[in-house]
Amino acid sequence: MLLSAKQDWLGNVRNDILAGIVVALALVPEAIAFSIIAGVDPKVGLYASFAIAVVIAIVGGRAGMISAATAATALLMVTLVKDHGLQYLLAATILAGVLQVVAGYLNLHKFMSFISKSVMTGFLNALAILIFMAQLPELTNVTWHVYALTAAGLGIIYLFPYVPKIGKLLPSPLVNIVVLTLVVYFFDIDVRTIGDMGELPDTLPIFLWPDVPFNFETLSIVFPYSVSIAIVGLLESLMTANVIDELTDTESDKKRECKGQGIANIGSGLIGGMAGCAMIGQSIINVKSGGRGRLSTMVAGILLLILVVFLSDILSIVPMAALVAVMIMVSIGTFNWTSIKELKTNPASASSVMVATVIVVVWTHNLAFGVFTGILIGSLFMAQRLSQFLLVESDYDEASDTRTYQVIGQVFFNSSDRFIGFFDFKEAVDKIVIDVHRAHFWDITGVAALDKVVIKLRREGADVNIIGLNEASETLLDKFAVHDKPDEVEKMMGGQ
Amino acid sequence: MTTMKNGLILAGVDGSELSDSVLDYAIWLSKKSSAPLKVLHTIEHSHQSDQVGHEGNLTPNIKEHLLDELSDEERLESKKLIADGKQILNDAKDKATAAGITDLIAKQRHGTLPEALLDLQSQLAMVVLGSKGHDHEGELQGLGAQIQDAIRVINKPVFIAKSAFTEPKKVMFAYNGSPTSHKALNLLTSMALFKQDLEVHVVCVQKNLADAQNLVEDAQSVLTGAGIDMIGEAMTGDAVEVLTHYQKTHGIDITVMGAFSHGKLHGFFFGSFTTQMLLESQTQFLLVR
Repeated sequence: MLLSAKQDWLGNVRNDILAGIVVALALVPEAIAFSIIAGVDPKVGLYASFAIAVVIAIVGGRAGMISAATAATALLMVTLVKDHGLQYLLAATILAGVLQVVAGYLNLHKFMSFISKSVMTGFLNALAILIFMAQLPELTNVTWHVYALTAAGLGIIYLFPYVPKIGKLLPSPLVNIVVLTLVVYFFDIDVRTIGDMGELPDTLPIFLWPDVPFNFETLSIVFPYSVSIAIVGLLESLMTANVIDELTDTESDKKRECKGQGIANIGSGLIGGMAGCAMIGQSIINVKSGGRGRLSTMVAGILLLILVVFLSDILSIVPMAALVAVMIMVSIGTFNWTSIKELKTNPASASSVMVATVIVVVWTHNLAFGVFTGILIGSLFMAQRLSQFLLVESDYDEASDTRTYQVIGQVFFNSSDRFIGFFDFKEAVDKIVIDVHRAHFWDITGVAALDKVVIKLRREGADVNIIGLNEASETLLDKFAVHDKPDEVEKMMGGQ
Repeated sequence: MTTMKNGLILAGVDGSELSDSVLDYAIWLSKKSSAPLKVLHTIEHSHQSDQVGHEGNLTPNIKEHLLDELSDEERLESKKLIADGKQILNDAKDKATAAGITDLIAKQRHGTLPEALLDLQSQLAMVVLGSKGHDHEGELQGLGAQIQDAIRVINKPVFIAKSAFTEPKKVMFAYNGSPTSHKALNLLTSMALFKQDLEVHVVCVQKNLADAQNLVEDAQSVLTGAGIDMIGEAMTGDAVEVLTHYQKTHGIDITVMGAFSHGKLHGFFFGSFTTQMLLESQTQFLLVR
């Protein structure tokens, strides 16, 4: 809303700038690490992080959220880069952006309400596991120096903040990088450095159209990757937006965020960057550092570019161990540790949704598949529970030899068998009345079950009379809505 | 069209310099139009934290810990703001009751003033606000940061208090024939207030005198039809200059005009006439969108 635009940009200048600096320093190692995950030169991730952060600062729907190159999207690109090369990745990035803009216009953000807390926890845990697993190649078949350096790096990251005075002023991941680089440089330790991983940027990015043939074959190669990237990018972005909404007790514009993520990815692809999305860890760091406004994201993006362009020579001698330590920190911070404890206390259905989400993601390396699995299992559990809300009371009137069944509750695909089970088809009576005015028939399976009951009872020779069918079948309409009719809600809840 | 019969007079108070004056004018308007009075205090959260750390690292369960820290901090802030606001509202209630207002509501809402107005707008007939709040206290001309947004978000007339209360006698209506000034004209005819004790001046400033005269005649026919006597004046020149001069020489108490007929972007590039008038004048304002 225009109303708050000024507040979003200039409401918190000093803290936003400081937080932006902290975030920029933390973004550099992450952008490099995610480039390595995707299998491209570090400059691809660094240009991407610059473009995405700067663009999303302007067009995003959640002030104070940090978006850049991310692990979640990088993991989806691995085979595309391996089989077809960087130019196809850039094309896929732009197409993913276009799809996200379309998703924004189609209001697809509303589907986020299907993502339960369990699915979200599973998503984050899986992401943490994948980030950790991506570090393993750097930790296998290496000399003891690498282990020692990584351990020292983690020590600095977690213990430096306890140093009096400067501990809370300097970002500890940066201290880790500086210290490890100095150690490796002065003691001349032979370990892998960032410079060994590929080209670093030494110029400002330039506008480039991806060098791919503009034909159907290209589209068929790129499209599946773009769809995955678009979905995963929006999932993580909207989840992160929810986290920041909660932390700061403010609201975000989810539709604008969807479109913004798309525009940011298009921008990234056009300057030679890979696709990205919102980053949960970095966004939390930003909030913790006092960042609330769009300025923080903007500062982070611009400073990141300045840092890498002017410091590329120094960056190239940073040992990979320092980077690995940062990424292990990101992994530890992303994982929801209480969720392990809660496995025992939460309902088994919730725990199984969480665990299933994690397993599918770790198996497929695609967060979207995990989320879909989680949603599917969660919905089945929900259908199972809802089907319990069904009761058929029966009454017999001897004078008229009439059996009356009163149906109360929800009749749908999953409860239709139970519904049929309530009727006594062997009882020989003259008349049968089925009163359904307190029942709700949600789908055609429910209606078919009622038909089946009626036909069966008629076969046994009874006169069957159904009452209240109009009220009961209102729910059949797809546009059935009770939110604006308090009476209807009352009816649903109490079965009245 | 807005009539004073169906809706509240809302006074936005914040305990600042002009807060008393806002309440006085609201009481006056409420009595004159026999509309119920609602006194509103908004609790604005800064959503900024004082306890920031630049460690930049991600510790286990950082989200949960951060959420606890931030909500604890804001809870204390909110409690204090609510207590302060209650005090302001209680004082306002005493004053209004003493002035003989019986139909009175005093409420607090979380969020900014424009947000609150947007939420409450359907119950309101008119909003009374101070031209500046705490941030501009002591400044002679200052215009509150929220007042523009507040006027822009709602489609109800806004009364703006710029100085301490004096019983209003003379009203100047700046009429330029624009759609919003037409609405303002309609408001004048619908409010009983202007038929009774107020002297109504209609001032039209145009590039050439003939146009201005035509506008005066238009206004005259409408107002006379509604039983309001008026003094008409047609003039040429720079509108802001001419109007503020007229205010001074005729001892005008309240300026009535249409407000912000152009968008925000237009105002950004060309400067807004409404903003300029608000800054340059010494009178109270009744603005219609």
